[in-house]
Amino acid sequence: MPEKLSFDRTFRALEHAINVAHQRHNVISSNISNLDTPNKKGMDIDFKKAMVRALESEDAMSLSKTHSGHMGPKMDGAQQAEPFEDEGEWNGYNWINIDREMTKLIENNLQYRTATEVLLRKIAIMKEVIRGGR
Amino acid sequence: MDFLTSLEVSGSGLYAQRKRMDIIAGNLANIETTRTEGGGPYRRKMVLMSTKPSENFDRVLNAQVEGVQIDGVVEDKSPFQMVYNPSHPDADENGNLFKPNIDLIVEMTNMVMARRAFEANLSAIKSTRQMAIKALEIGR
Repeated sequence: MPEKLSFDRTFRALEHAINVAHQRHNVISSNISNLDTPNKKGMDIDFKKAMVRALESEDAMSLSKTHSGHMGPKMDGAQQAEPFEDEGEWNGYNWINIDREMTKLIENNLQYRTATEVLLRKIAIMKEVIRGGR
Repeated sequence: MDFLTSLEVSGSGLYAQRKRMDIIAGNLANIETTRTEGGGPYRRKMVLMSTKPSENFDRVLNAQVEGVQIDGVVEDKSPFQMVYNPSHPDADENGNLFKPNIDLIVEMTNMVMARRAFEANLSAIKSTRQMAIKALEIGR
């Protein structure tokens, strides 16, 4: 990805945000489908931690260049966030509570849509520039 | 990572809850059944649920994303209800009649819970759909 050409840090941050939100969505869906599995503990992904991790690993990957002809390492956007066991409340059957999971689902959905919307608007701005404001 | 994973997972949830509903309906229908093929009154049935690992190609990556499956249908081993009804043809020599070990209130509660869980899975699918549509807007 040509770094100088507007595909800056914001783009990558948004890409990571969408990626992490997607992974969290899968994990929450899994919790909801296991609402009635005995003794099951729910899983979750810490959005903030996963974002920090993704951005830090990206920083670590950008090597210093001593020559203008040096190429950077291949960027892999698909970072895998690590789910952890969620501290749930024991409901007499398992550790997954429907109200909590639904709130998380909606919250995560909003986060995903926000990130996508911001990305869309950024692309719209770039299109505007390409068209020369006409 | 794709939307099909979460759809598959939520779909397994829908299937399991529907199956659970079938079993509850069977219990409710047989609440007065005193004769069965195996002899004796009808025994209350229950479903056993367990996690199902994702069948997708990237299941190593998705190790924490699990669907649900029905392990089997088991019979409730609790004792039958006993009522005194000497006029009933299935009553024993003391006039006691054994009726199924089904509690109407328990079944109704389970029914509501199955319905709620079904709706929760449905909401997850709707959410997945919204996200997929939003993602498709990128680059339009």
